[in-house]
Amino acid sequence: MRVSGPALFSFSLALLAAYAVYAALRWPPKAALFPLTMGIPLLVLALAQTVMELRAPAGAADAAGGRKVLSVFGWMGAFIALVVLAGFPIAVPLFVFFYLALESREGWPISLALAAAAWGVFHLLFERLLHFPFEAGLIRNWF
Amino acid sequence: MLDALIQGLTLVLQWNAFSLMLVGMALGFVVGLLPGIGGAATLALMLPFVFKMSPVEAFAFLLGMHSVAATTGDITSILFGVPGEGLSAATVVDGHPMAKQGEAARALGAALMSSLVGALIGAVALAISIPVVRPLVLTFGSPELFMITVMGIACITSLSGMGARAQLKGLAMGLLGLLLATIGQERQSGVLRFDFGLIYLWEGLELIPVLVGIFAIPEIIDLAVRGTAIAGNAPATKLGSGVWEGIKDTFRHFWLVVRCSIVGVFVGILPGAGGGVAQWMAYAHAVQSAKGAADRERFGSGDVRGVLGPGAANNSKEGGDLIPTIAFGVPGSGAMAILLGAFLIMGLHPGPDMLTKHLAVTYSMVWTLVIANVITVIVCLATLPYLALITRVRGSLIIPFLLLLVFIGSYTANRQLADLLVTIGFGALGYLMVRFGWPRAPLVLGFVLGKLAETYLFISMARYGYGWLTQPLVLVLIALTVVVIVFPYVQERRTRAR
Repeated sequence: MRVSGPALFSFSLALLAAYAVYAALRWPPKAALFPLTMGIPLLVLALAQTVMELRAPAGAADAAGGRKVLSVFGWMGAFIALVVLAGFPIAVPLFVFFYLALESREGWPISLALAAAAWGVFHLLFERLLHFPFEAGLIRNWF
Repeated sequence: MLDALIQGLTLVLQWNAFSLMLVGMALGFVVGLLPGIGGAATLALMLPFVFKMSPVEAFAFLLGMHSVAATTGDITSILFGVPGEGLSAATVVDGHPMAKQGEAARALGAALMSSLVGALIGAVALAISIPVVRPLVLTFGSPELFMITVMGIACITSLSGMGARAQLKGLAMGLLGLLLATIGQERQSGVLRFDFGLIYLWEGLELIPVLVGIFAIPEIIDLAVRGTAIAGNAPATKLGSGVWEGIKDTFRHFWLVVRCSIVGVFVGILPGAGGGVAQWMAYAHAVQSAKGAADRERFGSGDVRGVLGPGAANNSKEGGDLIPTIAFGVPGSGAMAILLGAFLIMGLHPGPDMLTKHLAVTYSMVWTLVIANVITVIVCLATLPYLALITRVRGSLIIPFLLLLVFIGSYTANRQLADLLVTIGFGALGYLMVRFGWPRAPLVLGFVLGKLAETYLFISMARYGYGWLTQPLVLVLIALTVVVIVFPYVQERRTRAR
């Protein structure tokens, strides 16, 4: 028996289904019918899969790219933080510039040019053409 | 009728209507490339501009835009794995793996040509069926519509891959998708389900953040980890030369394209089913029509038939959507509900008048669908080799733009910052699913169909009790559902016996 990534994933799915069933049991029948009908078989299938994964022979560890994966998620988090603070129109060019300069290690001229291009397309399409209302960031609201 | 058909064509070809159609198409082209904002939202944004137009001009503008958005959505799906529209997610499953193998141009050629065939079939269906479709649509009540969604859910079995373990994983993901669809306020009792005290979850999860998270983010991570271009080390010669191959693929599998187009028209006619359902049902049909288990295994890893089916259905459903909208003012989808607003702005009333007094206007819509799609496909085919070259640009240069596409798309769908977090959450889920070998398509199909299935089931039970199960059309649909589930197993046994 081996606790592996796939086994943990299947077990998490089983936990999720168990919670769904537990929560649905407290609702009136009409509201609970559909979640229970889906949740109970999902619980059974996820548990079966967990057992199979635990019994499976050890596979090759796949640690390659782990740091890169975390880095991509980190950049995504940073973009959302930028959007919340500065709003989309400012976050878009800043994100492109910093990603290219710091993560992709491109030269400053290319990073600046592509950030300007991203801003230009965004401004023309969403602000000029579609008049799409984007929320102002927190910083603008503070001042 | 022939007079009206010709008059409809001349109306669309008049300078004002034609030029407005071109403007609409240009807008639809750009919007189709962006996930989230989608054809329906753009229709809503552009509605105020039609006040001063004549009916033919307004519909040329709006329908030109809408039909092109459906086509170009496939481009980002194939090139980057980012669904350009919620409707074009099924194209990702086989289209993007083809791009990774250096066959982007072939996949794009196949998607565009099948879209064109689909659009033409949809337009023909619209042209000939308006007078006869009324009884069909009125036959479909909630029990029948529920069975249609069940049939769609049954397609999960064919999206899961072969073998007991693959089926188990596919079914589990389908159930998870259905469960996710129950998040939010239950419509009949008002009970809040899985809301965790968050007002954001009262309306349930939005489709676009879920879709782009599940499909696009794992592809972006893969691109970052590989550190190469999208097409990796595929030979450069394959990129541009595949366009004609893709076009030929459409005619090599012509009957599949026709059948999937018919699926699209049919789903389009049904109110509330939506384009996403049409694409997935067409994809499932393409998988099911594979000859044997080995043939079916090719789907999901870059089989051109997995691009042709959804491509055809995506555009044929536009014609199907218009049928109930024009014939009796029952919109087949969200976009058509907005188009209904345009009818009222123009002073037109969908129903018998559109089939008698305003028949030429009705046929001008048919011609708009045809002409807009033909022009789009010609323009796209001319530029495809260049578009496909994007797959050779260094990944490190493309990634920030893909992330922008993903997040702007997620936000513009509903203007909620929380959608960005949902996108990341489902991105993480999608990444783990890919890494541990869980299929993503069944989850999406379950999610798309879940809300519809629950609503139709509730109405059926409230109206007929268990009696709805004995209605003749329901029985036919139950039998068809059983066939959908059993067919792959029968086919596998037959192949083994040989």
